[in-house]
Amino acid sequence: MQDSARNLLPAADLSVKAISVAGKTKAKRRRRRIIGHSLDLWRSAFSFFVFFAVWELAARYWVANPLFLAPPSEVAVRAVELWNTGELQKHMWVSFQEFICGFVLASVAGIAGGVVLTQSKAVRGFFDPLVSLAYSMPVIALGPLFILWLGIGIASKIAVIFLASLFPILINTMAGLTATDRHLIEVAHSLDASPGQIYRKVRLPSALPYIIAGLRLSVARALVGVVVAELFGARAGLGYMIMSATLGFDTASLFLAVIILALAGVLCVEFFKYLESRLAPWRFQNTED
Amino acid sequence: MPAPKLQVDKLSKSFWKGDDEIVAVEDLSLKIAEGEFVSVVGASGCGKTTFLRLIDGLIKPTSGTVSIDGRQVNKPGPDIAFVFQNDGLMPWRTVIRNTILGPEIQGTTAEAARRAGMDFLRMVGLGGFENHYPHELSGGMRQRVNLARELSVGADVLLMDEPFAALDAQTREIMQAELMRICRETQKTVVLVTHQIDEAVYLSDRVVVLTARPGRFKQEIIIDLPRPRDLALKRTAAFVGYTDKIWHLIEEEVREGIRLEARNIATAHA
Repeated sequence: MQDSARNLLPAADLSVKAISVAGKTKAKRRRRRIIGHSLDLWRSAFSFFVFFAVWELAARYWVANPLFLAPPSEVAVRAVELWNTGELQKHMWVSFQEFICGFVLASVAGIAGGVVLTQSKAVRGFFDPLVSLAYSMPVIALGPLFILWLGIGIASKIAVIFLASLFPILINTMAGLTATDRHLIEVAHSLDASPGQIYRKVRLPSALPYIIAGLRLSVARALVGVVVAELFGARAGLGYMIMSATLGFDTASLFLAVIILALAGVLCVEFFKYLESRLAPWRFQNTED
Repeated sequence: MPAPKLQVDKLSKSFWKGDDEIVAVEDLSLKIAEGEFVSVVGASGCGKTTFLRLIDGLIKPTSGTVSIDGRQVNKPGPDIAFVFQNDGLMPWRTVIRNTILGPEIQGTTAEAARRAGMDFLRMVGLGGFENHYPHELSGGMRQRVNLARELSVGADVLLMDEPFAALDAQTREIMQAELMRICRETQKTVVLVTHQIDEAVYLSDRVVVLTARPGRFKQEIIIDLPRPRDLALKRTAAFVGYTDKIWHLIEEEVREGIRLEARNIATAHA
């Protein structure tokens, strides 16, 4: 027992010192990081300010024709007008419903499909070329066909959004499930894990960051799907708003719809980035330092 | 002599590489008593790691048997724990959840497993780190978690495949001393594969030297040094005598291994 105590001591001493040093620099670094973050925020705010200022000036004094380029001030005025009549909320709500239905269906189908298609080499070999083909296909161009099949209502929109966002999720899920570190599987195997346990405790969690990255990639495609599906024929929605604004020479409404879609895209991407940093913190260790 | 805890009987394993049959290990037999610490050393590529995998049941032998307490081992089970060279910690699990992976797989209730896991973490000197993630730890700490995880399995037999090879020389020394203490406290029967001759002599009751490809028994050396052993033991004449002796046994095998390697590369390019 005596020699063990002696052997333990230096290690214990070292680790205590290491913690206190790490604690000190951690506080310092955290302060620096917070300052860094607020600086980043100010920089972003400044670049937005410059962008809108240049836009405003260009629209007022250079183009000077609201048909070609509406100044942001006019877009803001239009936003308030349409909000007060309830028009804006209606379009947003319709597009939101289509987006959520299409994207959630694509997420469920993409993840489930990825799980099924990676079950065996034969299944994978059969579907791989088809998945590549479907991924490369400009699904969005099939929009008119879906309207023909499913009508002008929400079903045809959901179909377009579903197909537009399905493949990045499916492909990333498949990649994540097949890219599992073989050594981790061997460790679980040596701990007497059954094939089912290896799947649940090793392969699925190690695929999770890939799946979230797939969701993040799909969000942008889904939003494009919303607009394009509505352009081909709809009764409401942000895409419909864009089309009717174009036909009515209402450039301010057009920009309003585009800005709302861009904001939605940014929000979704940031949400998935946050989710990734929470669920897969080890993937962020290099970018944080 | 009491009945052996671990008995390896005439174990052979060959692989097919194209049309060539490569014999990795041949006719290896070994009897290890309960609580004994045995190291296996040999030139690189002599099948040491294959030997350990065969004992664990991770791969099937071409011929021969492994048994624990007289029961034959065919697949990995809770009788044997395997400490890999690469820590193999799941990056999405905290230290404690990595530690209790074995009991969790065996279906032990979470609370009981957790309590036992905390004890093992304290034993390897990582008390207070249970909620950290592996990527927040140093290489030495990760290897301690690896050890704690395998201790949690509750097996009497511990197989270790160069567990400290990736650590720096000073950390390795400390880890050797800690491993010595832990093995004494837990009464484990250990088979350690290592490249470090001093590590083998310092930790072991017996050192087994293998020949270069295929791995066969060359010689066994009983390390008759008193326990408990201090790290300072490594500077005594008796200790150096053992390491010299083993190095002389291995040296020609290492040279033979290098010759074989060169010939393989030459024929591969011919």
